[in-house]
Amino acid sequence: MSGRRSARGRYLHSLWLLSARDLRVRYATSWLGYLWSILDPLVMSLIYWFVFTQVFDRTVGATPYIVFLLSALLPWVWFNSTVTDFTRAFTKDARLVRSTSIPRSIWVNRIILSKGIEFLLATPVLAAFAVFSGATVGWGILLFPLGVLLQTALLVGIGLLIAPLCVLFTDLERTTRLILRALFYASPVIYALDDLPGAFATVGAFNPLAGVFVLYRTGFFPDQWDPYAVLISVLITVALLVVGAFSFRRLERPLLKEL
Amino acid sequence: MTDEAVAVAIEVDDLGVRFRRNRRGRRSIKDMFADASRRSRPGEFWALRDVSFRVDAGESIGVVGKNGQGKSTLLKLVAGVLLPDEGSVRVHAGVAPLIELTGGFVGDLTVRENVRLTAGLHGMSAAEVAARYDEIIAFAELEQFQDAPYKHLSNGMKVRLAFSVVSQLDEPILLVDEVLAVGDRAFRAKCYQRIDELLAEGRTLFFVSHNEKDLRRFCRRGLYIRDHQLVADGPIDEIISQYNADNPIP
Repeated sequence: MSGRRSARGRYLHSLWLLSARDLRVRYATSWLGYLWSILDPLVMSLIYWFVFTQVFDRTVGATPYIVFLLSALLPWVWFNSTVTDFTRAFTKDARLVRSTSIPRSIWVNRIILSKGIEFLLATPVLAAFAVFSGATVGWGILLFPLGVLLQTALLVGIGLLIAPLCVLFTDLERTTRLILRALFYASPVIYALDDLPGAFATVGAFNPLAGVFVLYRTGFFPDQWDPYAVLISVLITVALLVVGAFSFRRLERPLLKEL
Repeated sequence: MTDEAVAVAIEVDDLGVRFRRNRRGRRSIKDMFADASRRSRPGEFWALRDVSFRVDAGESIGVVGKNGQGKSTLLKLVAGVLLPDEGSVRVHAGVAPLIELTGGFVGDLTVRENVRLTAGLHGMSAAEVAARYDEIIAFAELEQFQDAPYKHLSNGMKVRLAFSVVSQLDEPILLVDEVLAVGDRAFRAKCYQRIDELLAEGRTLFFVSHNEKDLRRFCRRGLYIRDHQLVADGPIDEIISQYNADNPIP
């Protein structure tokens, strides 16, 4: 309590510094820099676009398909890279965690923030494809920021839950990767939620990412609007936040001993 | 802190912390969510227990004890980077931790960027960093290397830079863990001088060391930790003689 700066101010300042550090390291070490953060989703989108519109006859999703893909792939890359990094949230900077007493949730939130900034920096790619493929943009685009917000909250909940567990149980790192790979195909990225047959659509709505992607897509594809998916996603997010906050408090103590 | 004679800087009450003896000890998820006090497992031991003391603002305290008895653990608990299983630690002022000194530095970034980041993470505002930057670099004697990547520095330079940054923190409590053992003689002398200055400004010092000379030089009061407990608390000279009596050189 040096009085000069509140605890909250210090937290936010540190959060910003850590995220800026991550980005700077990323951009300082490779001359492709910014390009890397858009290259991955771009290449993936082009592959899926090729496979599903040129090779197969596409029966899922919406037209223009490349915009349909990118509007969920960019958020997916954010989600995937963040959750992957959660598994090493504490071990990667163990020495720093061991020497500073900033509230420990910062090691989770800094990952969300730096990957989130990369996601936002990649959104112009989506805008460019929307323009060139002649996609129409409706009022639903106002939901896009809500999608960012909901995804951030979802990631905080997941991070608080799994980041400490990954330190305590090393197996969990691999398990998480495996689950993520399955989750990609289980989430409405290359298809839409209502493309799922029968009971799968009901089950699929309980994937919190479904509602998040609805928020991102409604601006380009108004018929993707699905209030139930969004509602379920919000409820699951809130539940994850509560459970995550509780377990994080409980696991903080054993976690610090393991580092 | 006001000049109301004595303000308490650190309060430690019935402090206890427990570790697992072997890393492979079985641990179930259920177990971890159970209340800490309800568990007592055979594979665990108390790294510290029933430790209570008070440190007034401006005091300089040395912690004495054999390796593995809990000295550094105590320091970490005071620094807030480890949480107690029992009792409490209350620290009533900001802390400048000189532990894991080079922890916050990133190899791929330059010295300049690293100073900004690390100082910021330890609570310095951007304006303060800017104001003290030249002093930090001058103290570390790295004027020629400001734009070199941190990973290209020698080990000695790295420690110099780290000490320089952390010792510039304007916090009333200074925690020092054996860091003075590193660096060449000339730089060590400079570090000593810097700590003397900080003490003269009225900082509180919490010091862990094996070096008798250092302890006598900086500390007035000593804490003796033996068998994971605080066994003595008194003037540093008495504490050191007690420690030496317990551990005669063969």
